[in-house]
Amino acid sequence: MKIIGVYSIKGGVGKTSTTVNLAYLAAAAGQRTLVWDLDPQGAASYYFRIKPKVKGGGRGLLRGKRSPDDAIKGTDFELLDLLPADFSYRNMDILLEGAKKRPTGQLKRLLKPLLKEYDLVLFDCPPSISLMSENIFRAADALLVPLIPSTLSARTLAQLLDFLETEDGFGALRVLPFFSMVDAGRALHTETMERLSAEHPQILSARIPLAPEVERMGLHRMPLPAYAPSNVASGAYRALWDEVAAAL
Amino acid sequence: MNPMAMDYLLPAADAAEQDMEAAITAIRAHVRCEPEPAVRLRRRFFDSFEWGLYRANAALEELVTDQQRELLWQDLAADGAVAARQAITAEPGLIGDLPPGPLRERMAPVLGVRRLLPMVALTGTRRTLRVLNDDDKTVARIRLEQMRVEAAGGRPAVTLPPRLQLTAVRGYGHETETTAHRLKTVLALEPAPAPLVLEALAAAGRRPGSYSSKLDYRLDPTQPAAAATRTILLGLLDTLEANIDGTRQNLDPEFLHDLRVATRRTRSALGQIKGVLPQAIVDDFKARFAWLQQVTGPVRDLDVYLLDFPRLKTDLPPGLRDDLDPLRDWLAAHYDTEQQRLAGTLASERFVTLLREWRAFLEAPARNGAKDAKTPIAAVADKRIRRMFKRVREEGRAITDASPPEDLHELRKSCKKLRYLMEFFQSLYPAEDIKGLIKQTKVLLDNLGGFQDLAVQAEHLRETAAAMQREDAAPLPTLLAMGALISRMLEGQQRARQEFARIFAGFDSAQNAAVFERLFADKQPAAAAEAGA
Repeated sequence: MKIIGVYSIKGGVGKTSTTVNLAYLAAAAGQRTLVWDLDPQGAASYYFRIKPKVKGGGRGLLRGKRSPDDAIKGTDFELLDLLPADFSYRNMDILLEGAKKRPTGQLKRLLKPLLKEYDLVLFDCPPSISLMSENIFRAADALLVPLIPSTLSARTLAQLLDFLETEDGFGALRVLPFFSMVDAGRALHTETMERLSAEHPQILSARIPLAPEVERMGLHRMPLPAYAPSNVASGAYRALWDEVAAAL
Repeated sequence: MNPMAMDYLLPAADAAEQDMEAAITAIRAHVRCEPEPAVRLRRRFFDSFEWGLYRANAALEELVTDQQRELLWQDLAADGAVAARQAITAEPGLIGDLPPGPLRERMAPVLGVRRLLPMVALTGTRRTLRVLNDDDKTVARIRLEQMRVEAAGGRPAVTLPPRLQLTAVRGYGHETETTAHRLKTVLALEPAPAPLVLEALAAAGRRPGSYSSKLDYRLDPTQPAAAATRTILLGLLDTLEANIDGTRQNLDPEFLHDLRVATRRTRSALGQIKGVLPQAIVDDFKARFAWLQQVTGPVRDLDVYLLDFPRLKTDLPPGLRDDLDPLRDWLAAHYDTEQQRLAGTLASERFVTLLREWRAFLEAPARNGAKDAKTPIAAVADKRIRRMFKRVREEGRAITDASPPEDLHELRKSCKKLRYLMEFFQSLYPAEDIKGLIKQTKVLLDNLGGFQDLAVQAEHLRETAAAMQREDAAPLPTLLAMGALISRMLEGQQRARQEFARIFAGFDSAQNAAVFERLFADKQPAAAAEAGA
């Protein structure tokens, strides 16, 4: 099983659409895929028409009162399941802090029984650097980091890389940044992308455009390639998935 | 991950297509659901020629629609639940031809080096209804299918009873149960008695698991020897015949291999179960099966070479490996000619007559046999195995470091006869004892085989080098690489020769001799019956 965290310190960079669309493409390619919606806002759950509710909440999962297995729901797409968000996840750091052993290894522990069931797990992560993020870093094989081509994004990428370098135990974690919400008509975007790609050779070459059809995912409540397979953004997500699959 | 699925048969009727539409109308009146467009399906179920997947409680389905072509790995122990799937673009064949992924990982240990062969093909139509909740979320799927087993092998096409499958979406078990309950009140559903694959195979007249090259006879120790011998020979003939088609079409090297093993065992049984069948018949068929063994040899030799080629290459130092490629090209170029010749032989009057006459003889009522025709088979088996064991022991003990290779070759032949005799008659003896002896004999055979085969291969390679040179197909580096390979083979042969004394001592132990004595001693008829019980 491979685990990918779709992660950014910043919010509003396209994490959830990336998670949902890549998960759909992975399942369509035959991978048994699980999305874990860790964001208390529950946007990924909403896109899949699944209630953002886990019986017992985050506390129930962490205390072992409920197994993640019981909370998993099938989506409308074969091979693609979702572990829904729950509003209680907003207090996750407090709950994690209370864990008796290894407060940073709890997500990894919870995933263990699912190892054989799935080929791929995607975390849709809440924006922040917190105890929850450290849990994600410890559990994941790779972090997929959407970057809006702007100076601020460059700063947050640097912050993240810096954090991973200074903290122990993240040496094996692959960081795969890619450009998201790209407006090819804006000079600032193209210039920033050129500069950042030169500075960070690990940035993937697929670029997700800022497209109205992506924003309409909330109306259709399904992954973009499911309702607009020939849309240019669907093609971009496919290219991104190919690169990520190859990197893993 | 694997959702619960329930299979039902719709009540069968003549106008099945209309039934499906009527069923859909009835369902939609009672269940909140969304129909998807009808889909044309083509399905094929694959297995290896010896039903390796079926034996591992699995089935492999190829499902083709306008949209997709994929393979589904099904768990027959769980009513055919899909355990893995994989999109494909090419005809399934060897494991290496499949894209990497979970399905390939599951199948690899089961399929091994065998080739996937289509066992049954179906075409039909599927209608899917997605059962929805208040959020328009799919909570279950109802699939109605009308499939037809395609005509094949002289059998007409067969239309299967329409099936309804209800599949739960994970986490919505409650909704699925409600749906199942409603469906049963709307339609007269019967639970499907078997997964589709088994129903389709049965309709196509194929018996999964029906083929095995293993010798597994259940003999009655008191049965007259002539009848038991015919049972053994008929079993071998069945195996031989089961492999003809695959050999002719060259679907998998294993077909020819099994055909040749069945031939060799037939010859061995004819020669070794002495004094049971009429001698004139034995002599005639021995000669004719020797011919069959000989004409099937060249393709088998090439098969062994080509299958073994990657290993032969790695036997050489890295710098020489690529020099060997012209050898492979040369062998591959000769392969087609030899294969065509073999296919011709298998279609020839001589071959067809051989099998027809052989079966006619084996199935005819027993005529006057030889002197032991009516002796209980257990007594004949005891005697034959006892004598062959003594012969192997004497020949083996006579071999010294100075013995010529021919002596080891003779010993190998005797050893093979001993092994086949024990395998033919194993049901007459306590399983654990006879299995142990067969295993011990195999260890000795492996050593002798290593010695002999490497010598033959080295000789064959020398002849091939000469032939390639005559045809101007061997550049100097290739000849040198082949020379290096010959030297490796002869070294290996030398090693096998040095090991012989130690391995034979293992076979010739007092303990082994005691087991032989205990199992095969000259017993009274009553004791013989008891030993087999």
